[in-house]
Amino acid sequence: MKVEGSRQLAAPREVVYRCLMDPLSLAQALPGCEKLDPQPDGSYQATLKIGIASIKGTYQGRVQILDALPPESFRMKIEGKGAGGFLKGEGTISLTVQNGGTLISYSGEVQIGGMIASVGQRMMQAAAQQMVQQFFDAFSHQLPAVQPDAVNSGGLPPST
Amino acid sequence: MIPEPFEYHSPQSLEEALRLVTEFGEEGKMMAGGHSLLPMMKLRLASPRHVIDLGRLSELRYIRESDGWIEIGALTTHFQIESSSLLREKCPLLPETAREIGDAQVRNLGTLGGSLAHADPAADWPAAILALDAEIRANSAGGERWIAAQDFFVGLMTTALAPGEILTAVRLPPLPRRAGDTYLKLRQPASGFAVVGVGVRLALNEAAHIERVAIGVTGIGPKAYRAAAVERELLGKPPTARRLAEAAARAADGVQTNSDLFASAEYRKHLASVYVRRALELALERANP
Amino acid sequence: MSSKLLGERIKRKEDPRLIQGRSHYVDDIQLCGMLYLAFVRSPHAHAEIKAIHSEAAQKMPGVLAVYTGADLEGRLGLIPCAAGMEGLKVPPHPCLALRRVRYVGEPVAVVVASGRYQAVDAAAQVEVDYEPLPAITDLDKAVSSDSPVIHESLGDNIAFVAKLEGGDWKAVESDASLKVIRQRLVNQRLAPLSMETRGVVASYSPGEDTLTVWSSTQIPHLLKTQLAVMTGMDEARVRVIAPEVGGAFGSKLNVYAEEGVACFVSRQFGKPVKWIESRRENLMATIHGRDQIDDLEIYFRPDGKVMGLKCHILANLGAYHQLLTPAIPTLTALMILGCYNIPAVFVETKGVFTNTMSTDAYRGAGRPEATYIIERVMDMVARELNLDPVEVRLKNFPPPGKDIVLATGVSYDTANYQKTLKKVLTLSGYKKLRREQARLRKKGKYLGIGLSTYVEICAMGPSSRMPAGGWESGTVRVEPTGKVTVLSGTSPHGQGEETSFAQIVAEELGVPYDDVTVYHGDTNQVPMGIGTFGSRTTAVGGTAIYHAAQRIKKKMARLAAVKLGAKPSELVFRDGKIETEDGSKSVKFGEVVGEAYFAKQLPPGLAPGLVENYVFEPPNYTYPFGAHVAVVEIDNETGEVNLRNYFAVDDCGRILNPMLVDGQIHGGLAQGIGQALWEEHVYDENGQLLTGTLMDCAAPRAHQFCWFETANTETRTPVNPLGVKGVGEAGTIGSTPAIVNAVMDALRPLGVRHIDMPLKPEKIWQVLRGGSPQVV
Ligand SMILES: Cc1cc2nc3c(=O)[nH]c(=O)nc-3n(C[C@H](O)[C@H](O)[C@H](O)COP(=O)(O)OP(=O)(O)OC[C@H]3O[C@@H](n4cnc5c(N)ncnc54)[C@H](O)[C@@H]3O)c2cc1C
Repeated sequence: MKVEGSRQLAAPREVVYRCLMDPLSLAQALPGCEKLDPQPDGSYQATLKIGIASIKGTYQGRVQILDALPPESFRMKIEGKGAGGFLKGEGTISLTVQNGGTLISYSGEVQIGGMIASVGQRMMQAAAQQMVQQFFDAFSHQLPAVQPDAVNSGGLPPST
Repeated sequence: MIPEPFEYHSPQSLEEALRLVTEFGEEGKMMAGGHSLLPMMKLRLASPRHVIDLGRLSELRYIRESDGWIEIGALTTHFQIESSSLLREKCPLLPETAREIGDAQVRNLGTLGGSLAHADPAADWPAAILALDAEIRANSAGGERWIAAQDFFVGLMTTALAPGEILTAVRLPPLPRRAGDTYLKLRQPASGFAVVGVGVRLALNEAAHIERVAIGVTGIGPKAYRAAAVERELLGKPPTARRLAEAAARAADGVQTNSDLFASAEYRKHLASVYVRRALELALERANP
Repeated sequence: MSSKLLGERIKRKEDPRLIQGRSHYVDDIQLCGMLYLAFVRSPHAHAEIKAIHSEAAQKMPGVLAVYTGADLEGRLGLIPCAAGMEGLKVPPHPCLALRRVRYVGEPVAVVVASGRYQAVDAAAQVEVDYEPLPAITDLDKAVSSDSPVIHESLGDNIAFVAKLEGGDWKAVESDASLKVIRQRLVNQRLAPLSMETRGVVASYSPGEDTLTVWSSTQIPHLLKTQLAVMTGMDEARVRVIAPEVGGAFGSKLNVYAEEGVACFVSRQFGKPVKWIESRRENLMATIHGRDQIDDLEIYFRPDGKVMGLKCHILANLGAYHQLLTPAIPTLTALMILGCYNIPAVFVETKGVFTNTMSTDAYRGAGRPEATYIIERVMDMVARELNLDPVEVRLKNFPPPGKDIVLATGVSYDTANYQKTLKKVLTLSGYKKLRREQARLRKKGKYLGIGLSTYVEICAMGPSSRMPAGGWESGTVRVEPTGKVTVLSGTSPHGQGEETSFAQIVAEELGVPYDDVTVYHGDTNQVPMGIGTFGSRTTAVGGTAIYHAAQRIKKKMARLAAVKLGAKPSELVFRDGKIETEDGSKSVKFGEVVGEAYFAKQLPPGLAPGLVENYVFEPPNYTYPFGAHVAVVEIDNETGEVNLRNYFAVDDCGRILNPMLVDGQIHGGLAQGIGQALWEEHVYDENGQLLTGTLMDCAAPRAHQFCWFETANTETRTPVNPLGVKGVGEAGTIGSTPAIVNAVMDALRPLGVRHIDMPLKPEKIWQVLRGGSPQVV
């Protein structure tokens, strides 16, 4: 399944990029994220409770950032499995300066297997889109907390 | 197809139900007809610890009229709506919609409230309720509130109901004079749910111009919606065939369109405009006896 | 009373108990101390199994054991494949996956628990570590040389290549006057979807060392032999019972992993074990049907006579062979010429492994694919030449008669294709329909009229040409009270043979229909037989019973002759009596029965008792045929297809009970039309099954159909004395192309030759708006 889209955020590209790389703000924004532990190899061990409405499943997995080109783009690889089956995804996220803010464009392939794949095809696309939306909604709430000077000084956004 | 273990509760009053709903919070799930909840539980897609069966709350099973408004209790079944002589006379759109839902077994158990609360993107009731400008009553331990249908559907299977709220009734404003309505649907051949479902209520003024029009669309996007762009094009205008067609072409404007094995997003958009136009034509015919 | 039972609309003996819910399916069987199984199934289409963690599951309440493939290795035999064709590659097929999984839903482990819910709960706790491998679902890719290989030891994904060739191809290819059409047809995968899913109860008694198995199966006797082999038990100690079986459509003509595992577990614990398939499991782990790609070359004369047909078939076998998997597509090749005298034929069939559930026999099994091909061929030729499809068919029919041999080498028993066609044209008002169509076309409306004149092969079949014997046994036993017991080696599961067999025997013996009781499906009660499939039950099984009844008659006639002082050959059986034709000498049936059992004055050489068994070996298959007309209307804005009328004239030989024939035809039509318009069982490119519930798997429903107008012609077969051919699959085989031909006929003004099934409205809409029918 293809997941594609873009989202305009009202923050400088560097800030957005840094935030995306920050496990704490990511964990806050990822829907249902219960755990996001950085690993020595640069990947994250994650526990996500994801789904729509009452249809939720807990997935254990790994999130990997590859080909990082700060502050322009990176690739993200996600793998997880849970009672509802497994999911694998890979995509490119690119950031461009636009209208005084940042346009995030994402495009990737998500492969879903097992139960969810075989019972949920009619809603899969909509569910994926809704979750991406939730992510960005939550993520954009994180952004105003970032002070421009914090960015300039290279500091991480304050954690909450 | 066996659910995970759960505890079953059968409250005898709305008050008791509200207490249980509050007590169990996220761990609890209300059950009305069970015809959406139980399939999900059997597939273990949903695994509530507590199932709170509203089935005994017979006070929520009614269809009545007062001051021209019609009020329907949340636990009223699809079949009760389909067979109500009051509704057939005063609001034929509802029986017409009920008839399109599932099969006889589903209609005998599934409820209006359950369907609205579940907010399946392809369910029929949401489109009908939107077309009728209905209001939805939500009760909580703190009291009750009415939610306009327009504000009720928030996203994919997500509604404006807050945790701890029970949907208790739906009420419909009186039918305007010179009004006509209808519900048209293309069934997905496997599920019987709507690939597209369109509810229309349309009223004409003295000059036979469109005075009011409300169009509810289901099956097209992640949630049912009012085809506002179409409505805007029609309001206050004479309903010529051409105008209806042109307006209907905007039936899926701005909607993030579903695609699945049966129909692509592009085709769904097309279906939306065809079905909206046909529903408008039929409603117009009924408004112009 | 007793005479004139055959040919009557007699109500089904089996219905009262079924309609009232008072009979027993497998799940109704309750035994003391029953254990329950739940299977852990692969969510991956192709993966290495790295580790299976069952500790948590083993600690769950009620759990007695968890077994994996490794636990069964060497202790439980492999799943058998009965199809023996030259050069066939047969990969090992263990009941629980060993080291690798090859389709979504493949059983990986089994949980044994004392409660059904406990078993399912625990199965959810078994964790399996997989290393995913690339999945292969696309047939073209699977046969390419750089494709990953599903069974590495086999070298590639091609299980077999079979060729069938006939006629003078040199002449065809050098004839410059012939036109050629090349077309690819895709025959999509379907799920057989019987109302009752599969299920098994296995009960091993350690003291007696006997294993009793209740299974929802079409082949209790074959299953018994196979389970004996798999468990290593002495066959005499295994008993298989097929209780009520709620439909199968071929899907229960098989030996499944779960049956083997249930027997194994029951023997481990010395307790009864039950497994009932869920609908989800049914959709992913019960065999599927169809799934072929057929690349055609059609050579034809400008007058519509087809001179040669070439077809390259890619048949999707799935990941493993089930019982008859590779044999099914070979039936497509055999029947590819349908009822047309086409002088040259060439078919190459490649059986291909993919990471999907096995395909196998589903109602029609290989013949619907053949019929679809040849009936589409006739219409494409008609379209190309601007001829009426009726004309093209008439041009290619062989003359009516017997023993018609086609270029495929197949010899059809009897045929009169002209007659059924003529009848359906009258029934449907064909000419009038064409006029209506022309009128509507002028108004921009699309009405389509589709024909199908099919022939199929059934009453399977001569043992020389069947994978595991094609004979059938029948026993007639007249009890001392004069009531009659009939035992059949077949295993009907909804078709109504308890009724038709009783009709045959009651009519032959001249006893009341209600005095005849038919049993089948219990290997300890019924002599060995083959089972029910390939529209064989009445034509082969019924014939065995008919012959057994003749033997009874012969013996009783000898006894009666002594009593009456007549010749046995002068006597007839009617109205509960055995008497001379003129009725002047008569003795009651019951009296003669008494003689046989009391055995006081038996003629020399005559043994006491009245039980006769007969094993019938059919000399040939039978070839039922028919002609169907479908009328469809297309919504020219949305592409929706409305089936307006359906006319079916079927010839299944002699009709024993028209009501049963109607029932088979109606159900068959529903399934065949379902394939044309709605059904498809879909895997995505990663081998995930997308149509895993009935929310997405579009089984046809009654409300989707118009009324079927049915009629028959009766051309008796000489292959059996009853003259019956078989009707279990005819409706399915004949109807699919009629619908597709109708839709393509409707769209003819738009210049499109073919759209692949199912004819979903979106594909038609694509054509309506001037595009090509993309896959959606
Ligand atoms: C075979 C089949 C075919 C169907 N076909 C169609 C169709 O064609 N069109 C269609 O629209 N629907 C269809 N349905 C769905 C059916 O209409 C359901 O009955 C309906 O969607 C849910 O109503 P219910 O009373 O069964 O709710 P339940 O299944 O009991 O509940 C559904 C959800 O709503 C919540 N809920 C229920 N009542 C309340 C309440 N009063 N307040 C707050 N939350 C509540 C529950 O907690 C649950 O999350 C079909 C269902 C089946 C099984």
